[in-house]
Amino acid sequence: MVMSLLNTRDTTNSKTRSVRLLRNNASIILIYTIILIVIGIAFFVNENFRSPSNLINILRQSIILGLIAIGQSMIALTGGLDMSVAQVARIVGLTVASIFAISGSNPTLIMPLIILGLLIGGTIGLLNGILVTRTHANPFIITLGIASILRGVNLAISSTPIRGIPKPYLHIYDYKIGIVPLNVLVMILVWILVYIFTTRTRNGRALFAVGGSERVARLSGINYNKTLIMAYIICSIFAAMTGLFLLSRTGVGDPSAAEGMDFQSIVAVALGGISLYGGKGSIIGTMGGVLLLATLSNVFNLLQVNIYYQQLFLGLIVLITVAAYKSPRSS
Amino acid sequence: MSTSSVSPNSTGIYLLSVSNIEKYFGGIHALSKVSFDLKAGEIHALVGENGAGKSTLIKIITGAYTPDSGEIHINGNIYRNLDPIQARNLGIAAVYQEFNLLPELSVAENITLGAQPIGKYKLIDQKSRSLITYQLLERLGAESLIDPDELVKNLTVGEQQLVEIAKALAINARILIMDEPSAILPSRDLDRLFSVIRHLREEGCGIIYISHRINEIFELADRVTVLKDGQTMATKNVADTNQVELVNLMVGRPLMDMYPKKESLVGEVILEVNNLCIEGTVFDINFNLKSGEIVGLAGLGGSGRTTICRSLVGLANIHSGEIIYQGEPAPRSPSAAAKLGIVLIPEDRKTYGLVLNQTMRFNLSLPNLNQFTKLGILSSLKEKEAVQMIIKKLQIKPPTPNISTENLSGGNQQKVVVGKWLMANPKLVIFDEPTRGIDVGAKAEIYVHINELTKQGVGVILASSELPELIGMCDRILVLYEGRLVGEVHRENFSEEKIMQLATAVNN
Repeated sequence: MVMSLLNTRDTTNSKTRSVRLLRNNASIILIYTIILIVIGIAFFVNENFRSPSNLINILRQSIILGLIAIGQSMIALTGGLDMSVAQVARIVGLTVASIFAISGSNPTLIMPLIILGLLIGGTIGLLNGILVTRTHANPFIITLGIASILRGVNLAISSTPIRGIPKPYLHIYDYKIGIVPLNVLVMILVWILVYIFTTRTRNGRALFAVGGSERVARLSGINYNKTLIMAYIICSIFAAMTGLFLLSRTGVGDPSAAEGMDFQSIVAVALGGISLYGGKGSIIGTMGGVLLLATLSNVFNLLQVNIYYQQLFLGLIVLITVAAYKSPRSS
Repeated sequence: MSTSSVSPNSTGIYLLSVSNIEKYFGGIHALSKVSFDLKAGEIHALVGENGAGKSTLIKIITGAYTPDSGEIHINGNIYRNLDPIQARNLGIAAVYQEFNLLPELSVAENITLGAQPIGKYKLIDQKSRSLITYQLLERLGAESLIDPDELVKNLTVGEQQLVEIAKALAINARILIMDEPSAILPSRDLDRLFSVIRHLREEGCGIIYISHRINEIFELADRVTVLKDGQTMATKNVADTNQVELVNLMVGRPLMDMYPKKESLVGEVILEVNNLCIEGTVFDINFNLKSGEIVGLAGLGGSGRTTICRSLVGLANIHSGEIIYQGEPAPRSPSAAAKLGIVLIPEDRKTYGLVLNQTMRFNLSLPNLNQFTKLGILSSLKEKEAVQMIIKKLQIKPPTPNISTENLSGGNQQKVVVGKWLMANPKLVIFDEPTRGIDVGAKAEIYVHINELTKQGVGVILASSELPELIGMCDRILVLYEGRLVGEVHRENFSEEKIMQLATAVNN
């Protein structure tokens, strides 16, 4: 009897496997389907959209959000949110710009200042991580507090654009290898690395475990504090990279740089199907979320949709996705 | 609606009578032909081991569960689909160990929460609220002890319990269920609780009194019903029975031949616990464990079993004393413990054992990722092989590594928790209630794996509330009572009666 039961299971195995594959990746399939639909519609509606340069442009536009969102994904996997990412990007940009300005646009400082920027990011991430693990308070509140402090510091550094960025630094953003911009390549590389990190390393698995259940993770020998602190450091370093890219793109130290990026990164993460309750989701989903937002923003701009409506639309997307991936407790 | 209490001359009338109650949870037969009744003006004790079905019966009486068959009579009327609101309106109230009080509100606010007295302009009448509260406390003889306007969080546990009882009286409860009320009280508050309960009996209430402390039953109760394995063993007048008989009724069962105890080679001492004290829960515990040995931890709920288990993997704040593993102080965190091969298979698999929304494969490999990692990268091939091997070894069903663990049955979930640690090649395994809530077949399989561990020289600590399990599996059993080690019984002297007597502090 038991044997025959097992046998029938074996024969249905391949079928159930493909069903499960579909079901487990439903959110990813959904997001990429939506992207294709949006692209499809835009393709017919607007001929400017079709040009290869515009498509490359979408990729380029998604770099800034992409870097921040990938960091945010890691925090979301642990069950938290990092509300300080935009301010981290800004403080890095402003600090680097200020030092360039003081040094009289000295190009030999480019490498040291890039490293300094990443260090600033890492340090703030470390601070976030320590505060979250020590206080056990909601990470949202902790990082919001840090963001508020950083906002103050940023205003103190400068409330007007800082000029004096050396020319070679400005080329970083525009540099191309053939037709493909360097920064698009960097982003693709980062995505691949983070994908491998989250799926194929111990620390990556630990992110999911910590977000899924702190107690189980601890009892399974996962170092909870280390895992969380690591996630916050990585997230802030990506935010710092964003700040450095933004500085290269705009060419001035911008006191309003990365405005709204904290919220948008959360939208991208949620769209991509990473549970905001932690422990579930994939980086590939976040990439879909970023691409969708970048495409939509591109389409909106081509169709000259008012910025206010864009904002409204963004809010609606968040509410709809959060409702769709509702808390497991309520089901 | 009358607010006066039931007159004392109603003694003898059946307030409640349930008969032939059947209740299944999935494949588990939780209650089988259970009958129980309660008269006005009596204290009826309900006793039984953990898992005997007491809570299930209580939940049926309070309307939280609907029985699969059987009859519920309340005040002479039959109720088929009793729900909690209906039960409450019929005057059934329960005081659980965990209070349902809002700590930031006052005593009066808590007591009248369901039925605030409304005065002028539809506002709450604060004066009559305080008055109602005062009268209720007066009935309990606690009016001088508890100020109606005091915040609940400022009261002692004993006082909070009185507030809970007053809350029950506020809905005119005639059937009061008290779930181990003495377990949470310091002994100096016991007398007051007992006199309150006796006073309610005088008023004509029927009280269902659940307790693990056999001696209390003889002090307080009129009748006692013993439940065992979901069946009513007996209902007796307390005057006609004695402590030893009750204990025998609670535990006496044919020992099933499902404990394949094998003689393993008991070796050197690997673990020593010396004078271990953990703030407020565990006091002055001394024991050791040898390789290849199974030492049992017996004791009632709250006796400190779980705390001791957790302390061995660094999860308790040790107040004084020491834990020595292989001659060195034991590690102070689960991750450090796991590195040395000390693992805890925790009591509540859904809270502590599994990341439920993750796959079987994720859960199985979680503590073992090191084994599959080369140059920092996980080899999914190695992982898959190891996971499939353990699935086959433990016969986890369905044998699908990518199934989410929340979709597994309890027994298979437990196998995953056991399996993830078997994969880690442990040296010392602490099992805390390894078979709670799982079916007989899965139980037997888990016992086989425990024996296999000891055969390989692994030391095992087995904490369990099921005496047959301990007796069937262990070399020695340590008995705990209220955080203290009250006895150590060796295999040749094992008997359920003896262990139960130690665990319930019965002297004879």
